[in-house]
Amino acid sequence: MSRIRIIFNKFFSGFIFIVLVTFSSNVIAADGEALFKTNCASCHKPDKDFSGPALKGWSERAPSKDWVYKWIANPANMIATDAYAKTLFEKWKPSIMTAFPQLKKDEIDAILKYVDDYTPPTIGPQANGQPQGSDDNSLLFGILTIILALIAFILIQVNSNLRKLSDDKEGVIRGEPIPFYRNKSYLMIGILTLFAVGGYFTIDGAIGLGRQKNYQPEQPIYYSHKVHAGINQISCLYCHGGAQDSKHANIPSVNVCMNCHMAIDKYEGEPIVKEDGKSVNGTAEIQKLYAYAGWNPVAKAYNPDNNADGIPDGASPIPWVRVHNLPDHVYFNHSQHIKVGKQQCQTCHGNIQEMPEVYQFTDLSMGWCINCHRESKVDFYNHETGEGNKFYSIYDKFHKDLKSGKMDSVTVGHIGGIECQKCHY
Amino acid sequence: MKRTIYFPAILFIAIIIIVSSCSNKNPGRDYMPDMRYSRAYETNAVLDSSVFISTITDRAAIGHKIFYNSKPVNGTVRRGELFAYTLPNDSNGYKMSAGVKNPLGPLNHTDSIEAARLFNINCAICHGATGVANGPLSGKIGAIANLTLPLYVTMADGTMFHSMTYGKNTMGSYAAQLDRKQRWMIVQYIRTLQPKDSTATAAVPVAVNTVPDSIKTK
Repeated sequence: MSRIRIIFNKFFSGFIFIVLVTFSSNVIAADGEALFKTNCASCHKPDKDFSGPALKGWSERAPSKDWVYKWIANPANMIATDAYAKTLFEKWKPSIMTAFPQLKKDEIDAILKYVDDYTPPTIGPQANGQPQGSDDNSLLFGILTIILALIAFILIQVNSNLRKLSDDKEGVIRGEPIPFYRNKSYLMIGILTLFAVGGYFTIDGAIGLGRQKNYQPEQPIYYSHKVHAGINQISCLYCHGGAQDSKHANIPSVNVCMNCHMAIDKYEGEPIVKEDGKSVNGTAEIQKLYAYAGWNPVAKAYNPDNNADGIPDGASPIPWVRVHNLPDHVYFNHSQHIKVGKQQCQTCHGNIQEMPEVYQFTDLSMGWCINCHRESKVDFYNHETGEGNKFYSIYDKFHKDLKSGKMDSVTVGHIGGIECQKCHY
Repeated sequence: MKRTIYFPAILFIAIIIIVSSCSNKNPGRDYMPDMRYSRAYETNAVLDSSVFISTITDRAAIGHKIFYNSKPVNGTVRRGELFAYTLPNDSNGYKMSAGVKNPLGPLNHTDSIEAARLFNINCAICHGATGVANGPLSGKIGAIANLTLPLYVTMADGTMFHSMTYGKNTMGSYAAQLDRKQRWMIVQYIRTLQPKDSTATAAVPVAVNTVPDSIKTK
C-alpha cells in the first residue's frame, strides 16, 4: 500500500513540476515579448532584417551569450574593441545601436528566449478578398461551444425520454415530466449564465466609458507619421517641440509644415494605402496643406495679405482632430516626462514612426499611469559619483536606505509619484 | 407569435450597438462630460466663433465679441529671455545683421550639449549632423547649405541668426521652434562644426547620412 502511495506521490509531484515549468516558462516568454516590444521592436524584428538585423538565430552568429550582454550594454565601445562588432557595424552603418545598460541579464535572456521561440503569425488565405480577422478563432470557439452545449442539451433530453420509456415499461409511475423551460435547474443555469455574461459586458463597458484606446479619427489631411518620422527620420521634437518645454506637446502650426513643404511639393515615396484599402494621393494631400497655408505652389510664394490681418489671404489653421485627451481633472505635464523623466515618446504613444494614421496606443487609464510610476526608476543622484539628477540629492532617507541596502533603487512611486494630489488637484 | 419576434429583434439591436461602438473613428462615450472636458479654453482648442474673434480687422464684431488670438503682444519679452531682434526681414536688414553681436558668451558644457541636441533635432534633418548638407531630407530639398563651406565660415554670427529667424531661400523661419537664446547657441555650435581655418578646403558632401540614433527615436 505504502509503495503505491510513494509511486503516486512521485507521479503527482512530477505532474506538479511539469505544470509549474510550463507556466513559469510561459511567464518568461510573455515578459520577453513585452521587453522586446518596448525596447527592441523599433529597430529589430525577430525574423526579418529591419533597421537592425533579425534577432532570431542570434546564437549561431554571435560569438557568445556574454558577448550579447556586453554588446547590449554598450555597442559603441564594442565596435571599437571587438572584431565581430566591427563587422556588424560595417554592415549596418551608419546607424549604431542605442545602448541599453538598464537591461538586466535575466531580462536579456527573456528577450532572447522570446525571439528564439518566435513564430510569425500565420496569415490565413486571403481568398475572394475576404479579410481574415484575428478574432476568427474566437468566433470558431464560440460556435463550437454553442454546438457542444446544444448536443449536451439534446442528450439530456434523450436521457430523460429514455428513462421515461423504461419507467413505463417497468410500470414505475412518475409524475408528468416538467418541460425544460419550467425546469428549475435549467432556469437557474440560464439565469446564472445571463448574470455572468451580462455582468461581464456591463462592467467592461462601464470601465471603458471615457477611454479611447485605439481611437483613430479621420484627420483633415492624411498626414502619415510613418512617412515623416519613420522614413524621413524627422525627430518628434522638430514639430512637437513643446513636449520638452511645456505641459503640452503642441500641434505644429502650419509654418512648421512649410519649412520643408515649401520645397517638397510632390510625394514620391512608396504608394500609401489606407487601412480600408483606399489609396492615398500624397501630392494631393500636400496641395491641401498649401490651401491651409495660403501658399501659391505655382508662384512659389505666400498669397499677398490684402486684408491686413497678418496672415496670407485664404490661410486658415488646420482643424486637426485631437487623438489623445486626458480628462480635465488630470494634470499631465509633457516636459516633466520628456525632459526630467527622460521618457521616449514611444513609451506612451506607441511606435508612432510606424503608424500611417495615428491611433491611441494606450488606454491612458489611471491604472496604467500608476503601474509605470511604480516601476520607473528615477535618475537618482549619486553623492559619490555626482551622477544623476541633483534635485534628488535632498532625499536623505532614500540615500541612507540605498546605502544600507534597504532598497536597491528609487522609483517614481517612492518620491510621491502615486500620491493623489500629484495629478488630481 | 409576437414573442418569437422579440428575441431576435433584441439580439439584432444589441449586435448593432456592439458593432457600432467598436468603430475606432469615434472617441466613445463619457461619464460626466463636464468633468472630462475643460470649461476653460485649452491649448490648440478651437475658439467658439460666436464669442471670439481672432482678428481685430473685423470691425462689425468689435464691442460684441472678445478679441483673442493667443499671441503675445508684439515686443513681449518672456522673463529671462533675450531682448527682441528688431532688424526687419528685408535685404537691408540682412545686410545690417552682419553687425549684430552674439549676446552669449562662450557656452558652458551643459549648454554646448544642449546646442548640439537642438542642432540635431532642428537642423541636422537637412544640414546633416556634421553640417555638410547630407541630412535625410537632402535628397528631397535642393540647395541645402553646406555649413563647412568658406562662405559660411566667414559669414557673420548675426547673419546666421538673421537667416534662422526669418528663413532664407528654401529654408523656413525657425523663430517658432527655437527661441532667441537657442538660435544663438546653435550659431555657436555651427562654429564648432566648421574648419578652423576659413581658407581650408571645405569638406566634400558625402552620401546621405542618417541622423544619430539618439535623437531619431524622440
